[in-house]
Amino acid sequence: MANIMAQSKIIAAVEMGSSKIVVLVGEAIEGRTVNILGMGEHPTNGIKKGEITDLKTASACTHTALLKAERSAGTTIEGVYLAATGSHLEGFSNRGIANVSASDNFVTRADITRAVENAKSKALPPGRVYVHHIRSGFTLDGRPVDDPTTMAGETLETSYWHVHGDEMKISNALRVINGFSLNVDDMILSSIASGRMVCTEEDRKAGVLVIDIGAGTTDYALYKNGNAIRTGVIAVGGDHLTNDLSLGLRINAKSAESIKLRYGKAEIDKDDKNDNVLLLGDLSIGDRPIPRLAIYKILHARIDELLIIIKNKLGSMASPQHVPAGVVLTGGTARLPNIVDAAERIIGLPARLGELDSAVNNRDLRQHEYATALGLLYYGAHAQRPRDERREAGILSKLTTFLKFN
Amino acid sequence: MSAENFGGNHPMFDSPMNDQGLRIKVIGVGMAGSNTVDHLRLNHANEIKLAVVDTDNKTFGSSTLQEKLLIGRSVTRGLSAGGEAEIGRKAAEADREQLTKMVEGFDIIFIVSGLSGGTGSGAATVLAEAAFDSGAIVIAFALLPFSHEGSRRIKQAEETLIHLRGICHAVIPLPNDVLLQEVSEDASVLDAFAVANDWVARGVQGICGMISTNGLINVDFATLRKAFERRGGKTLFGIGFGEGPEYIKQALASLDLCPLLHLPDNKYIRKADTLLVSLMAGTDLPMNAVNSIMEQLTEKFGSKENTILGAVIDSEMKQSLRICVFGTTDVGTTKVYRPTERIERAIAARAQQSHSQPSASIPANKPNIAPSKSPKPGEDQEEFTFSSNEEQRGLFSKTDANLHDGNDLDVPTYLRQGIKIQL
Repeated sequence: MANIMAQSKIIAAVEMGSSKIVVLVGEAIEGRTVNILGMGEHPTNGIKKGEITDLKTASACTHTALLKAERSAGTTIEGVYLAATGSHLEGFSNRGIANVSASDNFVTRADITRAVENAKSKALPPGRVYVHHIRSGFTLDGRPVDDPTTMAGETLETSYWHVHGDEMKISNALRVINGFSLNVDDMILSSIASGRMVCTEEDRKAGVLVIDIGAGTTDYALYKNGNAIRTGVIAVGGDHLTNDLSLGLRINAKSAESIKLRYGKAEIDKDDKNDNVLLLGDLSIGDRPIPRLAIYKILHARIDELLIIIKNKLGSMASPQHVPAGVVLTGGTARLPNIVDAAERIIGLPARLGELDSAVNNRDLRQHEYATALGLLYYGAHAQRPRDERREAGILSKLTTFLKFN
Repeated sequence: MSAENFGGNHPMFDSPMNDQGLRIKVIGVGMAGSNTVDHLRLNHANEIKLAVVDTDNKTFGSSTLQEKLLIGRSVTRGLSAGGEAEIGRKAAEADREQLTKMVEGFDIIFIVSGLSGGTGSGAATVLAEAAFDSGAIVIAFALLPFSHEGSRRIKQAEETLIHLRGICHAVIPLPNDVLLQEVSEDASVLDAFAVANDWVARGVQGICGMISTNGLINVDFATLRKAFERRGGKTLFGIGFGEGPEYIKQALASLDLCPLLHLPDNKYIRKADTLLVSLMAGTDLPMNAVNSIMEQLTEKFGSKENTILGAVIDSEMKQSLRICVFGTTDVGTTKVYRPTERIERAIAARAQQSHSQPSASIPANKPNIAPSKSPKPGEDQEEFTFSSNEEQRGLFSKTDANLHDGNDLDVPTYLRQGIKIQL
């Protein structure tokens, strides 16, 4: 477990993405600020749809990125915060109820503990482990309260959003880091890490849906009252757009990627003309025209489907009255033109592109690709706070079952 | 799915009404409907009556059909309804008696109508009412306008569609946008309309094929009537075709891709309360294959309680299979169809008149479903087909399936939804 009492600690945020591995190294000072000391990036091999398909190659890539990061920081990493993604991560909501035991009806710590334990008591089927227990707040006799301690009431209720994943897949990810002789201090859902960086505290209080569309996966988190109440991972991302184009236009993956970046668009407008665009655009041999509408149709179908899946998963929870702050898009694929319009049309909420937290000073890092890694550093830094100062944040008060694999 | 699927010139005219068989009539309403019915190529041409109804004199000049009805002479003086549904409705109301006469004595009435036009929307609803009152099963094919035809026409079409759903036993919306995506860019206008006609023909054929007597598994008229007991719900309609050594698999895959199952209306809500499945295949169709097809279809469309199967064997179809699914949904607000006294009387009277059983069917000794010409493989191929499932996953070919609601998300969306890509 992390050395909580340390005044400062060199931590690394590692995101093993499907397109590249990002490592940020930071020095957490008394859990208040993080100095970002260095970073390392490396294109990924052996990871598809957010899951490791080839442990050896994925390890080699990650280790290269870690090495680069250590070199650029000029120091050694002491602990790692790892982003968790992949469609094996699932969640369910569970409530815990406790009757207030004291005769004067004031809530005591023991009541809270009982309610919390009650909520967390669900056993998982073999092969699954808990990754997070995210508390969605307390209610006392039906009224939502921030901190029930010393309040009067009869029934204390709490509900948790539990995230669990495949034991093997999680231990594979941990093994990659352990292979570099490092321990994983904590594993945090990608959506929650980026959700911390791309929208404001007020957004999360009011209700906001953060959708991080990466290369291999789409991670979303729905916030309400400052807590993530629903999270999810759909194993569809920018790679799928490329793959669809490659199959549909009968071109290789490299050309498809370039077509996606140069001409891609998520919506088809009425006045879009069906002219042709050039496959390579450099007048070299093998260049050929490709109808523009074919590109749009393929991308449009995929983006629509992805957003519909998210909308259906959230159901009535994604209604405008529950989510007044709307949809915030982030991740590399959020750069696809018109994707904001598509999100507005399908999810039926106002949508915008995420802007990185103004606390991040470094301009180069204020990009969508780094949102997850920065979020990890943020949570990493907060975990370094001395215990009494640390507000019991829902996200960190989780079981560390997975650490057994270390 | 080329226009040739249902090609073949069968005698269409001069066929006396067959008293023994099931009496079916296809009525085209308005310009679009009339044109479609005019060019309908049906294999049952002998048993199926065709007719057109319009407010416009000009339509009849070009029509080769025998039965034509000009309505609303007093309202429009033989000119068209000018795109106004209200005028179309008034015209039809004025000649309601003639419309009633037109639909009298039939078991199934198909109404084909373009909902963006004045006659197509206004008169179709009146005709549907008359047909319903006569006791027939009323099934409407509603051609919806292109999205670029302007919001006014689209709005009119949508309103009419809701109205029609309340009257007919089943309404099958055929959005032009979806139908014509199958047509290549440089196809002529005639070709494009042929495709639209083809969809109507396939639908009519699919339903009629089920009630035939030389089928492997028969559905009688009473069962069909039961299936359409509820009105007002949405209708699920899809067709698939497969041939070659893996024709069963191919037919199921092609059904999956049927664009009508992917309309925005019923996207991801493809569940039916009553499902009619019509299979047409050669003599080589094994019974256990029928079982497995039915299992897969009931699983897919979620109607374990009430699935009706009709299978037709056609000796000319070797190693090929045509599937037509037809589902009605009960959305809670639907009215259960109970024949009123008047309708029951109409049915009884008709039964006496024809001296045949109410559930009579099309005569057995005639070749029943015989698409005389199947498309040759590769002919008119616009779409690149993938032979195996793994190939459709490209980059993700060696990874775990990415299942969501029974769909593999790694397979491109456009392939799964049957969206045509023109290269």
